[in-house]
Amino acid sequence: MERREILRWMGAGFGMVGLKSVLHAASEGAKAPHFPAKAKQVIFLYLNGGLSQVDSFDPKPALAKYNGQPMPGPKIKTDRASGNLMRSPFEFKKCGKSGIEVSEIFPKVGELIDDFCVIRSMYSDNGNHGPSMLLMNCGHQLPGRPSLGSWITYGLGTENQNLPGFVVLCPGFPVMGPVLWSSAFLPNAHQGTYIPNNEREPEKLIRDIRNQQLSVGEQQRQLALLDRINNAYLQRVGTQPQLEAGIRSMEVAARMQTEAPEAFDITKETEATRGRYGDDDFGRGCLMALRLIERGVRMVQVYYGNFQPWDSHDDIRVHGQLGRAADVPIAALIQDLKSRGLFDETLVIISSEFGRTPMIQNSGLEKIGFGRDHNVPGYCTLLAGGGVKGGMTYGATDEFGFKAVENRVHPHDLHATVLHLLGIDHTRLTYRYSGRDFRLTDVHGNVIKDILA
Amino acid sequence: MVHRRTCTFLATILIAALGVTAVARAAAPPASAEFFELKIRPLLAKNCYACHTATKLGDLQLDSREHILKGGKSGPAVVPGNPEESLMIQAVRRSHERLKMPPTGKLKDEEIEDLATWIKAGAIWPETVAPAPATTEYVIRAEQRAFWSLQPVGKPEVPAVKDQSWPKSDIDRFILAKLESEGLKPVAPAGKHALLRRVTFSLTGLPPTPEEMKDFVGDSSPDAYAKVVDRLLASPHYGERWARYWLDLARYADGRIGAADDTPYANAYRYRDWVVEAFNNDLPYDKFVKAQIAADLLPEPERTSLLPALGFQALGPNPDDRLDVTTRTFLGFTVACARCHDHKFDPIPTKDYYSLVGVFRSSDYKEFPLVGKDIVDAYQKHQKKIQEKQEAIKDFIDERTLELSDMLGTQTASYMMAAWKLISGECKDAAQAAEADGLDRETVERWVRYLKDANKEHPYLKSWYETTARNAPLAEVKKSAEEFQDFIVALNLERNEIEDRNYVKLGGAKGVKDEKTRQYANLEFLDLEKYYLWRDLASEPYTKSGFKFVGGVHYYGPKEIDRFLSGEWKRHLDRMRADLEVLKKASPPEYPFLHTLADSEKPKNAKVAIRGDVKDVGEEAPRRFLAVLCAGDPPPFQNGSGRLEMAEAIASPSNPLIARVLVNRVWQLHFGEGLVRTLSNFGQLGERPSHPELLDYLAHRFMENGWSIKALHRDILLSAVYRLSTEHSAKNYERDPDNRLLWRARLRERLDAEALRDSLLAVAGSLDRTVGGPPVPITDEMKRRTLYGLVSRTKPDPMLTLFDFPNPNDTSEQRMVTIGPLQRLYFLNSPFVAQQAKALAERLQKEAGPDDNAKIARAYELLYGRPAGESEIQMGREFLRESNGSWPQYAQVLLSSSEFFSLN
Repeated sequence: MERREILRWMGAGFGMVGLKSVLHAASEGAKAPHFPAKAKQVIFLYLNGGLSQVDSFDPKPALAKYNGQPMPGPKIKTDRASGNLMRSPFEFKKCGKSGIEVSEIFPKVGELIDDFCVIRSMYSDNGNHGPSMLLMNCGHQLPGRPSLGSWITYGLGTENQNLPGFVVLCPGFPVMGPVLWSSAFLPNAHQGTYIPNNEREPEKLIRDIRNQQLSVGEQQRQLALLDRINNAYLQRVGTQPQLEAGIRSMEVAARMQTEAPEAFDITKETEATRGRYGDDDFGRGCLMALRLIERGVRMVQVYYGNFQPWDSHDDIRVHGQLGRAADVPIAALIQDLKSRGLFDETLVIISSEFGRTPMIQNSGLEKIGFGRDHNVPGYCTLLAGGGVKGGMTYGATDEFGFKAVENRVHPHDLHATVLHLLGIDHTRLTYRYSGRDFRLTDVHGNVIKDILA
Repeated sequence: MVHRRTCTFLATILIAALGVTAVARAAAPPASAEFFELKIRPLLAKNCYACHTATKLGDLQLDSREHILKGGKSGPAVVPGNPEESLMIQAVRRSHERLKMPPTGKLKDEEIEDLATWIKAGAIWPETVAPAPATTEYVIRAEQRAFWSLQPVGKPEVPAVKDQSWPKSDIDRFILAKLESEGLKPVAPAGKHALLRRVTFSLTGLPPTPEEMKDFVGDSSPDAYAKVVDRLLASPHYGERWARYWLDLARYADGRIGAADDTPYANAYRYRDWVVEAFNNDLPYDKFVKAQIAADLLPEPERTSLLPALGFQALGPNPDDRLDVTTRTFLGFTVACARCHDHKFDPIPTKDYYSLVGVFRSSDYKEFPLVGKDIVDAYQKHQKKIQEKQEAIKDFIDERTLELSDMLGTQTASYMMAAWKLISGECKDAAQAAEADGLDRETVERWVRYLKDANKEHPYLKSWYETTARNAPLAEVKKSAEEFQDFIVALNLERNEIEDRNYVKLGGAKGVKDEKTRQYANLEFLDLEKYYLWRDLASEPYTKSGFKFVGGVHYYGPKEIDRFLSGEWKRHLDRMRADLEVLKKASPPEYPFLHTLADSEKPKNAKVAIRGDVKDVGEEAPRRFLAVLCAGDPPPFQNGSGRLEMAEAIASPSNPLIARVLVNRVWQLHFGEGLVRTLSNFGQLGERPSHPELLDYLAHRFMENGWSIKALHRDILLSAVYRLSTEHSAKNYERDPDNRLLWRARLRERLDAEALRDSLLAVAGSLDRTVGGPPVPITDEMKRRTLYGLVSRTKPDPMLTLFDFPNPNDTSEQRMVTIGPLQRLYFLNSPFVAQQAKALAERLQKEAGPDDNAKIARAYELLYGRPAGESEIQMGREFLRESNGSWPQYAQVLLSSSEFFSLN
């Protein structure tokens, strides 16, 4: 089907297909927040596997001093046997007007550090990827709870009826997979729409986005008949909200055929723009995120890569490659959000499920290992844009970057803050299910007031 | 019934403890210890203690007077003398704005009244009886044992109902009694068409054929429907459908559980086929359970036929995973929560976890060959030869590679100088530069590349870059290169010495080299910067996180080493490679086998790992069953690992969970929701049953009927409640919007992935109905039932994923049903649906002839199991007229309709 043709059809008004009545029943337009919001949309760049804080945004000179020695103090518990302290192979530089120190593996982010709030005092509850990722994404270590993006679209609705409200991009799957963007017991319209962004062409990116055989007119005729058949069925079986939602999703699907290929098609950007993002999966993902946010998608989550690329158990040097590769599109995204006037209303989150130990990991699978293990007591998360103070650090880990000791921030607190920035009181965004009220932050979570602009 | 029994049971214990009599009970004044023990403590224990003792939800503990006066986050729970101001009363009356307790359902009026009376009288809390114990030794308290799902399965009395005409069975009387007590009336029964379609999908996952529909509609005998149920239960497709549900629980896929990379198991399907057969043969459920835990320990002759059942355990290597899936599937208890701490909500101490895990750790994975020993031996012997040859080749090459790297290291300075000639432009041609000094050309080129990029992760080339940058005289550059060479020679030596010492620490040639051993072997390492330099020179290329690291400057691996070898060295390598090829060609094909378990030779108790930390071990946990499912202290298992004894305890009629959990699963699959909606959690955090008496009735009857699942289906499917329509009733809806009381049938908004794909094939006439056999990759050309599609653990099929096929790496109690636009795109645009639409169009032509009306009517019968209405035929004709008679396009619309993929 030709795009021009479809647009003509769209221009003629979807009303002729006649789903208006159904639409009305299940309308999911934008909803009012609890209080005036600082941010309207969210981009969550997820560095799956575990970004090492002491090699990126939390410099610890003591590691050089004590390199190769055991960490002073009582023996501490880590996931696996861990060895002596290991200094970062990367150098840190003071950046921006704020003078925040950033590792050489994030040079471009360093240049923009005055736009970022660096939370250096994150901590989590579980040393395994799965539960910790669930905690970071769904506020609970076990599957079965709605994800952050689902809660957000549930709370705020969507601003573009032609695209899903919550889009998840990942080349392949992160550990745990679809439960990380599940709507669980929330209405399933709020489930993240997963797009494997390792494909380059929009037609391959979204399976079956185009009909290879029928013309627009033919499909339009089909949809009109389908609408009549479905409505007759609905009349016959009576009030059935889920059926209505299903029929409505057919309408979104029909419209996605026109808007989605365009939205996901980064070749619509200039070569110069594309060049600034780089041509790897994450770079293309970040650029797609920008285009989706421009089109009113409420939340876009970009997973860095398949499985868990940041899980540098064997060799922390890999972080050098990862950092420099991630640095480029992150910086480009921030710049473009600004130049397109979206920065102030878009909250950008950059995080992992946990950090990495300041100690060497003894268990390298390589012959000689210089990796770092999972670090649950301390890690870092970056925020930028909508309603967050830039050029500041918040909280601190101990001398070695092992444990958050000052202004500690749990994922529940982060979630409470994200919702707050979107104008949502996290204690009031609830859903009654299975006999009790659920919320993203369960019975926890404090908004981090000090980082609000 | 269950509730009443629970209370009586508790009261008996407490009365005994206090020495009070039944007479005292009736007369106990509100300000007495008796009143508290008889009325208040049991009430608190039953409704509040799951969350408000040591767990302290909302910081609130309700286990002593001190604690209730202190209260939680919202303030004191009780104001003695003033029930109205007591948060507890506001919460249980649900008059408080926010606090509404207990979350599982409002207390009975008389219970609320008792609480208020007790508070008004001063909230007396006798000190003679200790509050909830705070000792370290875990003691299962009486009120924990009194939990509903742990009570023996009773045989509840069938309740009396007012409307005698509606019920068709006792199941209906339980349902109706509840409906009547709430003033609700069941809606009308489903029509014959809807009913046949529903029951056919329920039992076989396929749509009824028009012929079956005609037979049923035309059969006016009173047992017409019962005959249908029997016919479907006897169909081989019944086992296929119900096996798939079971496979969700068993986390089945065609590969090893827990493998980071896809590890296909070509024989895994033998377990799948066994499950299909077990359902088709109606293997008694207790036997079905025992077989999947301990078939290897059962007596012959059934042992051999039941062995494939062990795939349930043996498709994964991990004892903790086996324990988790076993307990959640059969017991509906989350025992795995107790791995790191005593279960927060259910009476399962950590020690009990290790009692069970000891059983699993004392069981080993075992392949059970399906061919004679001679064939197995021959195959394995041959494989061993291949492996030995491969290792010999690898060792030989690795040694040469390392030697070469060390040798090239001793010539570092010459190579650097040759590279410098090229970098500085003195010489343009690498071949020339190499030849002049008798050097290897590729290595010179590699040095050029390496030296050109000054961005190094070690500092040892600083002097070189400093010297070359200022165009120092050649002698100085040369000196810098020679110093670097000395450093490399020393580094290679140091590295080799470290490797030698590590080799000894790891136990030499016979040592174990796995990750765990390496972790604890206190290995030595090069200094980080030296390591980076060593790696730059000698490491092999590798890919990590999508980044390709080129090999070291001096690294020449299996693909490149040959040109450095000559004479006998080269001939030796060539010979070994040729031998390997011959061996591979001569290899016999792999023999078929079953994935099973066997008791280890020396079964051992596990030790409690404190907070789940395997290095921090505590006391030994004797291998025995869960204490909470035993009357007293559970006796240790006597035989081998204890697996058979455990299986027998699990599948025992005296286990209160086994039958309840199963009948609830079957109920859920027929009604869309369980009587207990948390199918694999019958503990505190699970939901309470909507119809506890019915659940017990079904469980009891199930066991009485010899654990026959088919008999259970029959009971359920022949009930009037199963046969209800999905009709709406405003009055009922207002009282019970969630339809918990089952006043109507639940509309299934979407078929699951398998039923959907199978139906598309079935109505198009393309379904291949062969039963059983090895898995087939799911492509557009795959016409078998989806059950037989290859399921990968790491690369989920996109179509299955789109329609919520569960993650096969974990036990899954229930399918999610999502409905999203991408699913609709599948119907609109996928080649598979278009292909089936085309096939359907051809089928209509063949079966209904040239007449459009007849073809449309046939389509409605095939797809929706009902005749087409006049207006529907008109709609179809209009479409066909406008689309120049494009039947495939019309067929695709019908296949995309909500009616096709939902169940009314």
